[in-house]
Amino acid sequence: MSLAKDNRSSTVSSEKPGQRPLAKERSDDTSEKGPPTVQVKADRNGFTLVPDPAASLDEIVAFMDERLEQSRNFFQKSEMVLDLRTRPMRTDEISVLCEKLYEKASVRVVEVRLSDELSFSMAQKGLKSRLGSKGARSGAPENYAPLIVRNTCRSGVRIVSPSDCVVLGDVNPGAEIIAEGDVVVFGALRGIAHAGAGGERAARIWALSIEPHQIRIADLVAVPPEGVKPVAPRFEVAEIQDGVIQVICL
Amino acid sequence: MAGKTIVVTSGKGGVGKTTTVANLGTSLAKRKYSVVMVDTDIGLRNLDVVMGLENRIVYNLVDIIEGKCRKEQAMIRDRKLPNLFMIPAAQTREKNSISPEQMKELCSTLAAEYDYVLIDCPAGIEQGFKNAIAGADTALVVTTPEVSAIRDADRVIGLLEAAMLRHISLIINRLNVKMVKKGDMMSTQDIISLLSVPLLGVVPESDEVVVSTNRGVPLANDRNSKAGAAFIRMAARLNGENVPMDGEGSHGFMGRVKQLLWN
Repeated sequence: MSLAKDNRSSTVSSEKPGQRPLAKERSDDTSEKGPPTVQVKADRNGFTLVPDPAASLDEIVAFMDERLEQSRNFFQKSEMVLDLRTRPMRTDEISVLCEKLYEKASVRVVEVRLSDELSFSMAQKGLKSRLGSKGARSGAPENYAPLIVRNTCRSGVRIVSPSDCVVLGDVNPGAEIIAEGDVVVFGALRGIAHAGAGGERAARIWALSIEPHQIRIADLVAVPPEGVKPVAPRFEVAEIQDGVIQVICL
Repeated sequence: MAGKTIVVTSGKGGVGKTTTVANLGTSLAKRKYSVVMVDTDIGLRNLDVVMGLENRIVYNLVDIIEGKCRKEQAMIRDRKLPNLFMIPAAQTREKNSISPEQMKELCSTLAAEYDYVLIDCPAGIEQGFKNAIAGADTALVVTTPEVSAIRDADRVIGLLEAAMLRHISLIINRLNVKMVKKGDMMSTQDIISLLSVPLLGVVPESDEVVVSTNRGVPLANDRNSKAGAAFIRMAARLNGENVPMDGEGSHGFMGRVKQLLWN
């Protein structure tokens, strides 16, 4: 009898990845009083970290430090998603947390979930819509609120929006704005804008001044003509007319 | 009070970062501040050549970080100014020999003892750049008035802002006033409107720079040099003094008289 008991206890405590990981995590959670500082959820795709809204950054980092210390083999080199829907974080706070996770157990944070529809992909260093990545578009772009970018997009910035995108500033050469709906730039568009990225030919690009490398609407691409361009009195709109992209000065 | 740690970066190579570090360091030291210049371009070091101190290198930055020597042993004093020091980079190592955390630690140790820590950043945006900006609280982005340099400067400014480095200023180097007037070169205003960061100063194009590099004597030492004077004014602005901009051409007195007569 005692032999059987011993065998059972040894199976539970050994940390073989893939051997009933869900059971191990749940038992740890219930042993703590109150909501845990960070919930570590495991699902088919990997792990998701959900920090508690009331926790400070130091508490979260210390909690993860301890958790990884206890179960280092289990989490080693795994990929995690950081769910910030209930507890938003600044970019420097996210950096600190990601560095700690990597330093402790080579854990890579691959995605930061900002809202139900929007997440930031660390690999592509850009915003993406979770709906778009699944392939099926479950509604017209107008159904979702536009993504508003409240500063100038410098070279190297890539913004992807599942609906419209509004930039309150310039889009500098080397920046890319990709939207399934319209693109509205409250400044000079000098980079690349792609409206109607999902194939919507009625999408348009608006800017106070359109002087881009390239503009793309749905599946069409256009480059600006040579020579000095006239200055628009108010703003300019790019849209598809008769099968080509035209820019209208208004 | 801790000193200021300033990184001089650009993205594009060859626009004048090392020249700027050498001249700003010299100008600040001439005003009696204690200055340490750190060359972080491991493998392609240049600051020692521009300062004329290449023969005096025994230890370098990587030696300090690896613990092979104390930082005082690696610091080389300038030949003329007793309060100006330089830490050379290693020529035979690679950029991944040091990490951003190690640089941050070294910079805070230096800032505790010196008034100014100037970091010469290598070209690019990879490991060398990340190492160089790790310890800095202020960044000076150097650019020349040409499209490719400005594109790279824009990228670098974006990366600096993402790294939460809030004090970013611009230095426009090698401005050729004649070409700007002819319309062949972008003007200061064009550049500032594209990059949207405050301007620290403008350095005019000058043949003297090549000569000064070859001799190993920074231009800020030369009273008659226009480029040197521009660096001296920039050092004053860094210090918080209100020095008015000379705009696109520092004509001097006779130049202004000529302008009045022929306009």
